[in-house]
Amino acid sequence: MDWQPLFLSLKLAAVSTFLLIILAAPLAYALSLARFVGKAFLEALINLPMALPPTVLGFYLLVIMGPKGFLGRFWETITGSPLVFTFQGIVIALLIYCLPFAIQPMKAAFEKIDRSMLESAYVLGLSPLATFLRVIIPNSISGLAAAAILVFIHSIGAFGVLLMVGGSIPGETKVVSIAIYEAVESLAYREAGRMCLVLIPISYSFLLLLNLITRRSRAWS
Amino acid sequence: MRRFILFFFTLVLFVYPYPTVAGESLHIAVAANFMQPFKEIAKLFESENPVSVNATFASSGHLTGQIMNGAPYDIFLSADEERPAALSQKGFAEKPFVYARGRVVLWSAKKELCGVSGWQEVVKHPSVKKIAVASPKVAPYGAAAMAAIEQSSLQNMIKHKLVYPENIAQAFQYAATESVDAAFCALSSALSEQGKKGCYFEVGEAPPIVQGACVLMRAKDRQTVNKFANFLNSPEANSIKKKYGYK
Amino acid sequence: MELKISVKKRLPSFELDVAFSCSPDKLLVIIGPSGAGKTTIIRMLAGLDKPDEGTITFNGETWVDTKKGIFVPPQKRQLGYVFQDYPLFPHLNVQKNVAFAAQDETCVERLMKQFDIWHLRNRNVAMISGGERQRCAICQNLARKPRVLLLDEPFSALDAVTRKTLRTEIKQLKGELCIPIIHVTHDISEATQLGDELLSVVQGRIVPRWLFQFRLKDLSFRRRAGIEDIWGQNDTYNDNLEVSSL
Repeated sequence: MDWQPLFLSLKLAAVSTFLLIILAAPLAYALSLARFVGKAFLEALINLPMALPPTVLGFYLLVIMGPKGFLGRFWETITGSPLVFTFQGIVIALLIYCLPFAIQPMKAAFEKIDRSMLESAYVLGLSPLATFLRVIIPNSISGLAAAAILVFIHSIGAFGVLLMVGGSIPGETKVVSIAIYEAVESLAYREAGRMCLVLIPISYSFLLLLNLITRRSRAWS
Repeated sequence: MRRFILFFFTLVLFVYPYPTVAGESLHIAVAANFMQPFKEIAKLFESENPVSVNATFASSGHLTGQIMNGAPYDIFLSADEERPAALSQKGFAEKPFVYARGRVVLWSAKKELCGVSGWQEVVKHPSVKKIAVASPKVAPYGAAAMAAIEQSSLQNMIKHKLVYPENIAQAFQYAATESVDAAFCALSSALSEQGKKGCYFEVGEAPPIVQGACVLMRAKDRQTVNKFANFLNSPEANSIKKKYGYK
Repeated sequence: MELKISVKKRLPSFELDVAFSCSPDKLLVIIGPSGAGKTTIIRMLAGLDKPDEGTITFNGETWVDTKKGIFVPPQKRQLGYVFQDYPLFPHLNVQKNVAFAAQDETCVERLMKQFDIWHLRNRNVAMISGGERQRCAICQNLARKPRVLLLDEPFSALDAVTRKTLRTEIKQLKGELCIPIIHVTHDISEATQLGDELLSVVQGRIVPRWLFQFRLKDLSFRRRAGIEDIWGQNDTYNDNLEVSSL
């Protein structure tokens, strides 16, 4: 069995989950706090990837991340190499695809925090940033964990989007979901089955681990 | 409550599969690359016979899998010979026959490459950074392209440039949107409206893609089915095929 | 070290317009009916709300000056604010809560022993009683060595016995710290027991001294002014009570 696509998928999911939690947390916080004109529009825009069929999303991402798209060109000016058909490219595609799954649970967790707890922190001398790190984050671990679970499983399972933007390059963008698809397509059902059999317990144990974290954090909140 | 029941029954009425009124119908599974010529051939057949031809276009591997799991097709038009042969061997189909021969070409939307002498020069060209070739495991055209690359001993030189979309249509799309600089695709794509906006190079080293078809065991009305199967190699059908770059 | 405030703010049902001052080692009690604006005043002192116009100064430092556009955020004012619902941090135990913004570690232990919560130091804050939580909140604020202490109905959710004990502790505290303390309550006996100065706020205005003292014994006035007579000890009204006025 070819283990490379599996390792690539796990690496991709880990990197995307890590990056997305860090990037989405301040955004989710801003959305939970602020009341500004157009907030509803921004939220709908963030949720758009959930509503689009993945191949449609993949197509549009290919256009904007390609050598003629604004994101692709921006990337090339900064790094000197193209964005599509690279590992970095599929990471970015996943960040966009999974953003709504990260934002929703985190926003819900932040909204549940008592406002007077934050004010108490301010009066005690904490800046808004310090409050975010020392008060808000520790009190919304279950929301963060839920976001991490969702992003991880969607990253592993992502297919349509990665198919378009990745180009199925072995070792770079050929993730296990694409490898399984190719195996089925070329009638190599046994190989496909083997990959599935390995994938399931790995994903399951990760989900279980995060579930335990959520339960522990809920115990004292 | 009454309204709900009424709604439910209306829904069932719409969803219930009614048999088509217009005489008989054929259900054909067609490899995606043959979509355009097939549509013309089917229309021609329908005008001469009281039959409606319904086609499903997908990758050959996809369709083979479906057929093996009981999909109700009458004929399967594959992009290769191996799959119909496998189906026949496993008892899902009659003996296969050839219905078309396709050619792999290298196509690019970049006009500045049009003057280059041959496809090998194009793939080696420094301005060509990414080349799409359909995944050889699943697409016969991709496999033919890889064979040509290997035969020209170019695989090590251009390996880092290769990108593997899942099917030949996607490969062409990558090149058409200039996400890649060139793509190996079917001659039919190169001859299409979109294809005419770029230029293509013959890939002599690639073996011709022999596309095989087979009548499936599930087919009911054998007479009509066989009529269509024969029609695929009729002179009218052949001229349509030629127009699209098939032999 | 005097805290001076003179502010106006438009609220939903009336306009808040108050001005008063509080000197160090004086405990100023603000009483009044709910909705009178007492909490708004405290929040403005703390920097959690902004007045529409006016100034707030402490010891010569300008914290708020709407004309000059000055607003010092709560972080920089170095005060203590004991909230009505004592929001402690649930992810930390009692000791860590007290030590949260402490200036130095030694005073944490001393304070906790003084307020008799040292034995609870490793407990989770969800598992201690209301009175203990309030003490913890007080310690948390005192550990920061605040320059002003604000208390917003800190004992209203506690039982009578605990209230009495904590009142005594606050009174003792007043003697030790030499900072202005402002205490909001609607309990007149608490007000008279604790306060050196009494400020009555009704509908966003301070009730003038002569009117207040004159009508203090009038039951209907007391009711309308929201000065409830919570059943407590035999506290008598202190006629010599000084009432701040404009």
